[in-house]
Amino acid sequence: MKQIDKRKFWKNLVVTVGILGIATLASLLYFHFSKNSTSVAMIYVLGVMLVARYTIGYIPGIAATVYGVFVVNYVYTYPYMNINFTLDGYPVIFVGMLVVSAITSALTTKFKKQSQMLNEREKLLMDAEKETMRANLLRAVSHDLRTPLTSIIGLTNAYLEAPESMPEEKKIEIVSGIREDSNWLLNMVENLLTVTRIRVGDARVNTSPEPLEEVVSEAVIRFKKRLPQAKVNIRVPEEFLMVPMDAVLIEQVIINLLENAVYHSGTQDGIDFFVEQEGNVVAFHVRDHGKGIAPERLNTIFDGAGMDDNASGDSHKGMGIGLTICKTIIAAHRGTIQARNQKQGAEFIFTLPLGEVKQDGE
Amino acid sequence: MASRQTILIIEDEKNIGNYIETIVISNQYKALRAKNGMEGLSLCTSHHPDLILLDLGLPDVDGMDVLKRIRSFSHVPVIIISARTQEREKVEALDQGADDYITKPFGSEELLARIRTAMRHSVQLSNLMTQEQKYSKAGLEIDFDKRLVTLEGKEIHLTQIEYKLVSLLAKNAGKVLTYDFILKEIWGPFADTDNQILRVNMANIRRKLEKNPAEPFYIFTEIGVGYRMKE
Repeated sequence: MKQIDKRKFWKNLVVTVGILGIATLASLLYFHFSKNSTSVAMIYVLGVMLVARYTIGYIPGIAATVYGVFVVNYVYTYPYMNINFTLDGYPVIFVGMLVVSAITSALTTKFKKQSQMLNEREKLLMDAEKETMRANLLRAVSHDLRTPLTSIIGLTNAYLEAPESMPEEKKIEIVSGIREDSNWLLNMVENLLTVTRIRVGDARVNTSPEPLEEVVSEAVIRFKKRLPQAKVNIRVPEEFLMVPMDAVLIEQVIINLLENAVYHSGTQDGIDFFVEQEGNVVAFHVRDHGKGIAPERLNTIFDGAGMDDNASGDSHKGMGIGLTICKTIIAAHRGTIQARNQKQGAEFIFTLPLGEVKQDGE
Repeated sequence: MASRQTILIIEDEKNIGNYIETIVISNQYKALRAKNGMEGLSLCTSHHPDLILLDLGLPDVDGMDVLKRIRSFSHVPVIIISARTQEREKVEALDQGADDYITKPFGSEELLARIRTAMRHSVQLSNLMTQEQKYSKAGLEIDFDKRLVTLEGKEIHLTQIEYKLVSLLAKNAGKVLTYDFILKEIWGPFADTDNQILRVNMANIRRKLEKNPAEPFYIFTEIGVGYRMKE
């Protein structure tokens, strides 16, 4: 506390002396040419105002006023180099300068306090937003992890309780179920891991320019490794585009959207995945030809909401966490993501800013 | 095959180790298991395996140290087993002399393909004279003697740099080559470490060789690491 006061004091002193010095210099020059003491007083009024504006508290302003009044009296008014307070109209200048400085200091102090308050409130709001995001994520995670785990534990128990009496095809069915659920869990964990790449403080990512087609092709290859039977029509712009991004994260977004299209469209028809440059952003479109998204879910689909109403049944393929993570990732890239319905099927679009073309690459 | 080839598995995770061992043994290799780095090193010196599968996250010593120590006395092919999020470690391991890497989770097909590729390249290294004169895969042919590249019988015109790139990848087909390695091979040891120029050249090659640059068939990207050509 004391140290801050000391710093404040020195800062005030430096600013005050500096501004008054400049004012004195300016008035000396001005007076040398015009001999007009009223204008000189105005220069000091201006100086006092600036002092009051750029210092903290009332004292510097008042000190500057006193200094100004004395100097104007001493140097620039007849009799020169003499103090004479009986001069006509002098009290008016003195009082005027005092009032100006007092009001300016009061206003600036108030203004500073207000902006500080605003900053604090904004920070609180941002914290709250981050908190909601985290809470949504956790909720989605615990929901999406519990379901497949329950099923894995259940299936293994079923097998261990009666391995002899179980027909062979039943065993295969059980193991396939375990495999499917474990794959799902693995995907979930990879999703979670990607989120750790987003910096905690400012919710941003470290981007570097990546060739668009390489990211797209790697994402699709990884997707096909998991779901070999899925059909995807891919199209990228003819020209070579470098897009600033964290490639691992964007691949995850692409994979999540493609998987959703497979699991939720309710159709075996191919998925269209195409990328286009639109002004200074690139837009990634993932289109399916299935049953589309229920209109009431369109607005909240990225918030991890809406998973409670289908919490039963095959909800381990719920969209909860995947889309929440997509939104987090895209927001960290300063891009946008949205969902909409086509004539036939749903479409997810996300954009990434192209940024300025930098010569140095990084 | 006269004698079965031995594969040393250095992996601390019991289940993953079992899994790899099962795959390896059922494909006519002999398997050795080590559950930490020191044990791995001593098995490596005493048994001279034909290939090593090395997990980077070991309980006693850093996997990278194990790799460095193996490389100080042996050229045995080493394949790194890594998690997906460790790009930096992967690149470092490759630049430290690892032959290839495989990312968890992997399937048996993928693992066996990597093992075969690494073994083949180590055989090639040991007798340089018999190096292949041609790369030929699914319509794409590269004749290293005539410096001729043909796709489905038609000649493809590549620039000097592009040809060097393609032939470098083709001679190491199936193996991932890091950006740094390629830059040094093509542009010399004083090349800029910025890989932009490499990626632009690759994009041009892709436009000449691939039907759809977004769905490459011959040259694959491993983002953050490098490129791999179809074997």
